[in-house]
Amino acid sequence: MAAIIDSVLLTLIEKICVIVVAAYLITRTRSFSEILDGRLTAKNQAVMVLIFGAFSVFGTVSGVEVFGVIANVRDLGPVIGGLVGGPVVGLGASLIGGGYRFLQGGFTGLACSIATILAGSLAGLVYILNRRRFVGVVGAVILSVLFESLHMLLVLLIAEPWQEALIVVRGTAAPMIASNSVGAFIFAMMITNLIRERETAEERDKYFLELEKKKMELNIAREIQQSFLPDTVPQLKGFDLAAASHPAKEVGGDFYDFIPQSDGKMGLVIADVSGKSVPAALFMVLSRATVKASAAGDKTAEEVAKSANDLIAADAKSGMFVTLFYAILDQETRTLRYVNAGHNPPLVLNGKTGDLTLLKTRGIAMGVMEDAEMEEREIELAEGDVVVFYTDGVTEAVDDGLDQFGAERLFETVKKNCHLSAADLVKEITGAVLAFSKGEPQFDDITLMVLKGGKME
Amino acid sequence: MKIDNKSSGDVEIILPVGRLDAPSSEELMKRMEGLIDGGCRKIVANFSGVDYISSSGLRVMLASLKRLRKAGGDLKLARLHPYVRETFEIAGFTQLFEIYDREEEALGEFGRQDLPSR
Repeated sequence: MAAIIDSVLLTLIEKICVIVVAAYLITRTRSFSEILDGRLTAKNQAVMVLIFGAFSVFGTVSGVEVFGVIANVRDLGPVIGGLVGGPVVGLGASLIGGGYRFLQGGFTGLACSIATILAGSLAGLVYILNRRRFVGVVGAVILSVLFESLHMLLVLLIAEPWQEALIVVRGTAAPMIASNSVGAFIFAMMITNLIRERETAEERDKYFLELEKKKMELNIAREIQQSFLPDTVPQLKGFDLAAASHPAKEVGGDFYDFIPQSDGKMGLVIADVSGKSVPAALFMVLSRATVKASAAGDKTAEEVAKSANDLIAADAKSGMFVTLFYAILDQETRTLRYVNAGHNPPLVLNGKTGDLTLLKTRGIAMGVMEDAEMEEREIELAEGDVVVFYTDGVTEAVDDGLDQFGAERLFETVKKNCHLSAADLVKEITGAVLAFSKGEPQFDDITLMVLKGGKME
Repeated sequence: MKIDNKSSGDVEIILPVGRLDAPSSEELMKRMEGLIDGGCRKIVANFSGVDYISSSGLRVMLASLKRLRKAGGDLKLARLHPYVRETFEIAGFTQLFEIYDREEEALGEFGRQDLPSR
């Protein structure tokens, strides 16, 4: 008896292996995917009814005879169909499977077919009650056990003669409950994996789309920024000038500019717009154009700063501002008249003494308030003096431990390399900052402008 | 970024902790906007936990200050680290913000302003 049950169980499990392959193929069909997405159409429900119905028939055909009764996994198809696709699929598939069983006859024929139809319909009901979602692995296994027990109960209640029905149930109950629940377990595992896979894929697609969008935005911002930086540096009389901007991954809206004036004067601008990406790049364009327009005509640095500030403040929304340093270099008198609108103070290295001075004035970032006071100051530049204009991307560049490059390192780098030409000094400082940050992604653009006093002519 | 906040009467005290860079500034912006949208008009930002502020951070503070002042309120700062104070100074923002050494002073100033001035 035990040997028979064992061999029955073994054979049933063998069949289940076949079913696993079938299950794999079924779960990969388009109709099944649509149903998993909750998109039930007449067509995909019909396809699932046919597939799970055929599956149920296969369960009957592949059954193993025990005491003249077929122990089988007929209920598995309709149950899974109902749990995944709802009452229509569950009932439809069970009608096919149960109908086929009924035609096979035998004294348990009626009971078995009713049991299958009941199992498929109840599974469909569970789907509805579970808010049209698959119940999961544990749910499917528990329901399988319940449905098979119900199956056995129905055979006992309906099949005649009762004595024979009891023998059948004794022999088939354990293997049928076991094989159907194992089948449900495998099926449910496959379905939940599929659901998870699809969710992950969806999230991944969304993530990549976001990333693409972000990348495109960054490219646009970088292009805007770079296209509004001067292509060439003007040749000056008795001065050496160079500048460069190294945009951060997330463009910060730094800019520099040269604005030629009459009588051998040259306007020099370095600025840093608050914010990042496209908004910063656009604000940079606005600020640059405003300063350029304000600098037209023979105005003092203070007048330029004040009028540019009023125009920018009128336009600045949501706290946008730009820190800006504007200087007018007089190549004849070798003086630099400057205003500092909230910008990192440029440093001046005295070529003879090696002393450092910071170009601070009383001012406030542009766009913050109208009618802001902008103090103007003046320095003279001798041969060998070096002025380094920079943005906070230089001093606030960080290494992997979030230590900042800092003003001290900048001073040291400038001191050590003050014999270099302006262009080489820009390269040297940029190199030192990048070497310090060792490839750490930088939060801000690194922008530098160097003005060096040359021989008097 | 960890951002605590507590109330003292009708004043909200906000305590950001960490680096106030571009990403954390966005978080702080949301918190500030949430407070202001919720009807809060008096805010003290206690910066004792902030060791770095970028221009994005300054922008959040400026945007919040502008909104609050427009609505008749104010944003006062307290306990700035020297480095953070320097960043405010460079941008000229010390002309704009009331800055106090201690949180109680900022609160006291709000209290004093509430007294009838006529």
